[in-house]
Amino acid sequence: MADKRKRATAENDSDEDDNGEQPMEAPRKQAQAALAFRKRLKPDNAILATVRKIADSAKSYKPQTQSLADLNLPNACKEVVDLSCASVMAEIEKTIINIARSILGGNGFGYSVPSRSSANQLYVQELDRIVLKDKASFRPFANMASVRKTTITTRILQLVHQLCKKQIHVTKRDLFYTDVKLFQEQGQSDSVLDDVSCMLGCTRSSLNVVASEKGVVVGRLVFVEDGDRIDCTKMGVGGKAIPPNIDKVKDMESDALFILLVEKDAAFMRLAEDRFYNRFPCVIITAKGQPDVATRLFLKKMKTDLKLPVLGLVDSDPYGLKILSVYMSGSKNMSYDSSNLTTPDIKWLGVRPSDLNKYKIPEQCRLPMTDQDIKTGKDLLEEDFIKKDPNWHKELEVMVKTKEKAEIQALSSFGFQYLSEVYLPMKLQERDWI
Amino acid sequence: MASEKERATPSRKSKASKSKDSILKQKSPAEFFSENKNIAGFDNPGKSLYTTVRELVENALDSAESIAKLPVIEVTIEEISKSKFNSMIGLLDRERLDEELYGDYETEKAREKRLAKEAREQEKQAKAAAAGKKVKDSNAVKLGKGRGEALFYKVTCKDNGRGMPNDDIPNMLGRVLSGTKYGLKQTRGKFGLGAKMALIWSKMSTGLPIDIWSATRGQSFISYCRLDINIHKNVPNVHIHEKRSNEEGWHGAEIQVTIEGNWTTYRSKIINYMRQMAVITPYAQFLFRFVAATPDKNISIRFARRTNVMPPAPAETKYHPSAVDLLLIKRLIAETLKQNLLQFLQHEFTSISKFYAERLIGEMGPEFTPKMPVKSLTAQQLVRIHQLFRQAKFGEPTGECLSPAGEYNLRLGIMKELHPDMVATYQGSVQVFEGHPFLVEAGLSLGGRDVKPGLNIFRFANRIPLLFEQGGDVVTRTATKRINWNSYKINQVQDKIGVFVSIVSTKIPFKGTGKEYIGDDIKEIASAVKSAIQQCCIQLKSKIVRQQQAHDRQQRKRNLSKYIPDVSRAIYGVLMEMADGQKSKKVKYDDDADDLLKKVALHQITESTFIQKLGQHVEQVDAEMALEYATQSGMVDTAREPIYLRTLESDYKFALELHNPVCVMKLFSDF
Repeated sequence: MADKRKRATAENDSDEDDNGEQPMEAPRKQAQAALAFRKRLKPDNAILATVRKIADSAKSYKPQTQSLADLNLPNACKEVVDLSCASVMAEIEKTIINIARSILGGNGFGYSVPSRSSANQLYVQELDRIVLKDKASFRPFANMASVRKTTITTRILQLVHQLCKKQIHVTKRDLFYTDVKLFQEQGQSDSVLDDVSCMLGCTRSSLNVVASEKGVVVGRLVFVEDGDRIDCTKMGVGGKAIPPNIDKVKDMESDALFILLVEKDAAFMRLAEDRFYNRFPCVIITAKGQPDVATRLFLKKMKTDLKLPVLGLVDSDPYGLKILSVYMSGSKNMSYDSSNLTTPDIKWLGVRPSDLNKYKIPEQCRLPMTDQDIKTGKDLLEEDFIKKDPNWHKELEVMVKTKEKAEIQALSSFGFQYLSEVYLPMKLQERDWI
Repeated sequence: MASEKERATPSRKSKASKSKDSILKQKSPAEFFSENKNIAGFDNPGKSLYTTVRELVENALDSAESIAKLPVIEVTIEEISKSKFNSMIGLLDRERLDEELYGDYETEKAREKRLAKEAREQEKQAKAAAAGKKVKDSNAVKLGKGRGEALFYKVTCKDNGRGMPNDDIPNMLGRVLSGTKYGLKQTRGKFGLGAKMALIWSKMSTGLPIDIWSATRGQSFISYCRLDINIHKNVPNVHIHEKRSNEEGWHGAEIQVTIEGNWTTYRSKIINYMRQMAVITPYAQFLFRFVAATPDKNISIRFARRTNVMPPAPAETKYHPSAVDLLLIKRLIAETLKQNLLQFLQHEFTSISKFYAERLIGEMGPEFTPKMPVKSLTAQQLVRIHQLFRQAKFGEPTGECLSPAGEYNLRLGIMKELHPDMVATYQGSVQVFEGHPFLVEAGLSLGGRDVKPGLNIFRFANRIPLLFEQGGDVVTRTATKRINWNSYKINQVQDKIGVFVSIVSTKIPFKGTGKEYIGDDIKEIASAVKSAIQQCCIQLKSKIVRQQQAHDRQQRKRNLSKYIPDVSRAIYGVLMEMADGQKSKKVKYDDDADDLLKKVALHQITESTFIQKLGQHVEQVDAEMALEYATQSGMVDTAREPIYLRTLESDYKFALELHNPVCVMKLFSDF
C-alpha cells in the first residue's frame, strides 16, 4: 500500500512540474496553493492514527434505542414495521374481507389512507428524523376525486397478496406493467404502493416490491447476499450494486475505519479507481443523487452492524445538503418508514461552503447560485435538522450569503486526482468535519 | 392637392425632352388618387372589388342612420362575361387569327407534356378503380386564365337612406374630396372618397359611367343620373340627368358601377366583411347577392335584422386643445365667427371654460389680452398659444360625441351571426389618447357555427370591420399575447373562441397605408382593449365553471361505473385465493370471514355480485349528489340570459291579457 502511494505521489510531482513550466500566472498560483496543502500532509500512518481514534469512539456509540412510543409525544404518530409475508397477507385479507362485506351490504367501500402531505409531517428532535402524524383521509369509491386511487389501491392489494403468497420479489416497474391499462403511468402505481404500505402498517420492502438497483458500494466490506459471499474490494472500479432486497444481505464484515458517503457517481468512480479504500481503509457508497430506499437501508444496516462513523462528501449547494438530510432524517414521502431508513449522525466532511476559500478553489470553478438555489437555501435554513446543529447552520449561511456553489468536481481544477490524493487525506488529518 | 415637379436627370435624358420636363404641372385630386389608388384600398382588381363594396355599404349605412331610419341594404355583384362586356361597350367579339400571338398559346412541347401527364393520371385512376377504391371524377387539368383576361363585375348597392338632392348628385359623386363628412366626429368613412374612388376605378378599368337613382324623403320623383368623371379636371361629366316618376314613395339611393375585379380570390373577404358588418350592425338588414355567369355559382345571403334599437348618430364635436397643431389653430381662427381671443378659446375648443380661458391668456404673456381680436394674432403669437396648449393641462374630453354600438347590439350581433354556446360583452368607459376620446367595447363568444378552434378575432373601428393586416393590430396582439386564457378556464388552442373588439373614436389611429389596422403603440388603447377583453373573460369564467360542474355531474356516473369491473375482479381474485387456501391448508379465519369465503367457494358470491352491488351503490350516490346539486344551484344560479322577442306587425288583434309579475301576455284573437 505504501509503495503504491509513493508511486502515486511521484507521478503527481511530475504533474506539477509540468504545470510550473506554463507561463501563465494564475495556473501557477493555483498549483502553488495545491502544493502548499500537499506539503502540509503528514505521512499516512499519522493520518490513520487520527482516523482510528474517531472510529474507536464510534464503536462505543450506542445505537438509538429510543422509539416513538418512549417519547410520549403530544400527537399520535404513524410508524410502520417490517412484517413477514404471512402477516402482510393476513392484513390484506382482513382489509379485503371488510370491503367485500361493506359492498355486499350495499354501502360501497373506501380506504382510510394516512395522509403523506407535508402538513402531516413532524420532525422529532429526540429521534433526529421526520415522522408521520396520524392524520388520515377517507377515499370512498363513489367519488369522482378518489375513484381512481381507490381502484388502483384495490388492484395493488391483490397483486401484493399474490406476491406474498408466492414469496417472490418484483420491482416497481414490474408491478406497473401487470396492469398498465389501469395504472396509466408508473408514478400512479408507485404512489399508491406507498399508500398501501402506510395503510397496512408495514415497510415497503415487506410488500415484496423493490426499486431497481441504483446505489453502488465499494471498499473494505464483505457480506453474504442470498448465500453468495461478496468481497467489495474485488469489485473492480464499478463497485457492487446495492441489492434492492436488503433481507437477503447478511453477515457484514469489515476492517474499515469509516464509511464515506459520496453524492455522485463521478467522485465515486475517481475514489474507486484510485483505490482510496486501500490507502485509508473505508467503505465508499453512493446512490448517484437522491438516495433510493435500498441504499438508505444498506447504509443503515452498515452503520448498525459495523458501528462505523459515516462521513458525507456532497456538492456545496442546497441539493447536496438536501441529500444528506434524506439520509439522516428521511424524506417526507417515506416518513412513515423513517425509523428503518434513516442513519442519524452523518458527519458533513465536504465540500462545505467554507472550504471554497480554505482550499482556494479557483473562481472559475465556482458557480453563482440561481434564484431557485438561493430560495432552496433560505428554506433549508428554516428546516429543523439544519437548525439543531449551529455549525451546519453557519455553513449554510455562508453559502446563502456568498451566493456561490461548487461541485465536488471543482477540486479537479488542481488535477483529476486532487480529491483522492490531497483533499480527502487533508480533511481526515485535520479531522475537518462537522 | 399634390403637385409634382418632375426633374430630368441630364445624363439620361435627351436635349429635346429637357425643355418639356421643366414645365410645371398641376395635378387634380382625382388624378392623384387614380395614380395612387393603393392608398384608398384599390391595390389590385380583387381588392378593388372588395373596397368598392365596402365603400358603397358604408355610405348606405351612414345615409340611413343620418335620418334615424333602420337600414335596409341590398348589394348585388353581377359577373359579366367578356363577350357581354364587349357588347356593353359596343365592341365586337373577334376570333383569334394568329394563335401564337397570345400568351396562353400552347406550344407543341407543352402540349406533349400535358397529354403525357393526363395519360399518367388516367392510368393511376384506372389502377385505383381496379383496386376497388372510389375515386373522384377526373378533374381535367385546368387551363390557367391567360394574361390580360380581365374579369368584370357590375356592383349595385341600394339603400333606404336620405337620398341626394337632385341638383347635387353630379358634384357629390363626380368630384373627389368634396363631401359632407368633413368635420370632427366619429365617422365610418376613412378618406371622404367613398363612391368617388369606385367611379375613378371604373373609369380606369372599364371606361363605363356609373348609374345613380336617388330620391329624398317625400320627393315625388326619382332622380336618375348617369355620369363619369373627368379625371384631369376633377369635375363630373354628366351623360343623362333626368327625373322619373316615384310611385312607391321610395327614398334612398341606388348606385351601380361596373368595374374590373376578381371574385374568386376575394369572395371570402367580401362575405366575411358582410358577415362582420351584420355582427356590429344587427339593426340593419342586408341582402347580398352574387350573380355568376353560370347560375350554379350564384350566392344569396340574407342577414336579418334582430333589433330595432339603433345607436344615436354621432354628434359633431370641437377640438380638444391638446389635439391641435399649428395649422389647425390657424384654420380655426380663419373659420371662427368669434371676435376676441377669450371667446375663441372658450367656444372653439372643448374642456376650456371661461375662467380657464382667462387663466390661459394670463399665462401667455403681457402682449395677450382677453379682448384682443382673434384674427389679428401674429404668427409668433400663434406659436405661443400652441406651445401653451401642449404644456398646460386640460380636463379630458367627454365621450358624448361618440356612438358605440352598445353592448346590447354587439351581443345580438354575435348571437345572430355565430350562434355561440356562450357570449359575454363589456363596454368600457370613455378614455382619451392625445386629446381624442375613445371607447372600447368587447365581446367574447365560445363555440358556435362555422367557428374555427382557437382564437377568431373580429376587429371593428368606428363600427366598420377591419379585415386586413391582422398581425400587427392592437387587438390581435392583446388577445394572443397578453391574455392568460388558461386562468379563465379557456383553452386557447381547442376552444372556439370569438373575440370581438370595437373601438370608436373621433380619430382612429390607423397604421399603414391601407388604414387597415390600429397600431399597438398607444398604451391607453392597448390597456383599454386588454381590460375590456378581461372583463368578458371574467363573465364567461363563472359560466364555464358552472357548465363544467353540470358536465361533471353527467359524467360522474359513467366515470364511476368505468372502474367497477376492475375493483370487482381484484376483490374477487383475493377472495378466491383465500377460499382456495382455506380448502387446502385450512387457514383459519374468523367466523364472518369464514361464512363469506364459503359462499365464494360455492359460487354463491361471484365477481358479478360485486359488480351488481357496486353499480347499485354508484346509482344511489349519483342520485343523492344530483339532488344536492339541484338544491344548491337552484339558489345561486344567476345566469339568466336576456331574450329577444321579435316585434310583431301591428295588425294583430288581441283578445285577452294575462298578467303576472314578470310580464304581460296577450293572446291573439284570430287564432
